[in-house]
Amino acid sequence: MLESNVIQYRGFHNIEENGKITGFQICIRSDYYRGVWLSQLRPGKVVVDGVTYPKECVIWEINGKDYTVDELAEAGSDFWRITDTATLKIPKEGGLEQGAHTVSVRFAASCSYMPPFMDIFDEDGDDRSFNGGTYTRENMIIV
Amino acid sequence: MEKKIKRGVAIYSYSGEYGRTMNLEDCFKDMYDMGATGIEILANSHIDSYPELSEEYLAEWNRLCQKYNVEPAEYGHWVDTRLYKNRSISMAEAREKLINDFKIANKLGFHILRTKLGVINGELAPVENWREIIKSVLPEAEEYDVVMCPEIHLTTVLADKFVSDYVDFIEETGTKNFGLNIDLSVFQNRFDVPGVVVYNPDCKHSQPEEIIPLLPYVKCIHAKFNKMDDEFNELTIPYGEIIQILKEQGWEGYLLSEYEGEKKDVPGYVSHELRKHHVMLKRMLGY
Repeated sequence: MLESNVIQYRGFHNIEENGKITGFQICIRSDYYRGVWLSQLRPGKVVVDGVTYPKECVIWEINGKDYTVDELAEAGSDFWRITDTATLKIPKEGGLEQGAHTVSVRFAASCSYMPPFMDIFDEDGDDRSFNGGTYTRENMIIV
Repeated sequence: MEKKIKRGVAIYSYSGEYGRTMNLEDCFKDMYDMGATGIEILANSHIDSYPELSEEYLAEWNRLCQKYNVEPAEYGHWVDTRLYKNRSISMAEAREKLINDFKIANKLGFHILRTKLGVINGELAPVENWREIIKSVLPEAEEYDVVMCPEIHLTTVLADKFVSDYVDFIEETGTKNFGLNIDLSVFQNRFDVPGVVVYNPDCKHSQPEEIIPLLPYVKCIHAKFNKMDDEFNELTIPYGEIIQILKEQGWEGYLLSEYEGEKKDVPGYVSHELRKHHVMLKRMLGY
């Protein structure tokens, strides 16, 4: 079972590769009631403690496979289930400091059965759309 | 008494809890409490191996249906025509998705599909090439014994042209593999009740009797509800008149309760509202 918040406490940690901290990861669940094909996703920016990580530097891992945002846009046969998390991996030398962080993740998904204007979404902006927005969780702890 | 109209649940209703505080078996257990005998699942939400159907899921599905005396009533799926940001999907892509869903539905024991097409405007008119898309898969729909039913849902009203276009399509092609799912939101005439989630307060609505000429084509009904009071009345949709018409006309099929009100994410809230809704339906149906 997943946590109710879109941004999960579980899965939040720094990424270590060959003995070095190379970045950090955040697990999210979909806020939509149905799973989506990955090309329906509108992945946006990630913000940690006021520092913005543009969408282009975020790697989305879904079903054990890594995607850049450009690769997501083409992945119309791969599927993100509502009972699975996506892991967002962000490169950052040294990772995040030990202690509490405020984390925001912005994304949406297209919705063909609603009027087309409802799909309008600015990945880099701050407004909510019918099926997306910026999700924030405070007090996310790095051990 | 012959029970032509049957009670079921669209487990979309549990979407605020599903995967967090409820799993698939919890939905079945809740339905069993109410004596609901038909289930609607959403393929994209409730099949944990989608877009494939795993042997494990199929076995669990059969176990749950048997244990809780529930039959597959309707399989919800989508043709996401805006699958890609910069182009509509091709016919070949639409066919591939549809046929995959036919196969899964068939294995799970569903015959009626709620086939959600992409739309092009605020009245929710379907994509212009919907006839071509549907025609292209009619042979496979027949092979897998499924009936595709677009859902007629608020903000659409029954008098909208594309509703009669659907009927004309069925008559012209003579197909038995295309029908209608009416969502009772098309009759919603109250938008001012506290606790009702309203997207468009100026929405038009249909009159209950307008459903009569469509009934021969209606394979399934979404018994949409927004707000129950403690005396088991729904406060936004004229249920009494609608159920009376369905009984008089001898309509046969499932009323699938679909909760669209507030507090979906409060544990137990929707289960409680569904119970009230089923008390109402039981009283109106007389069984």
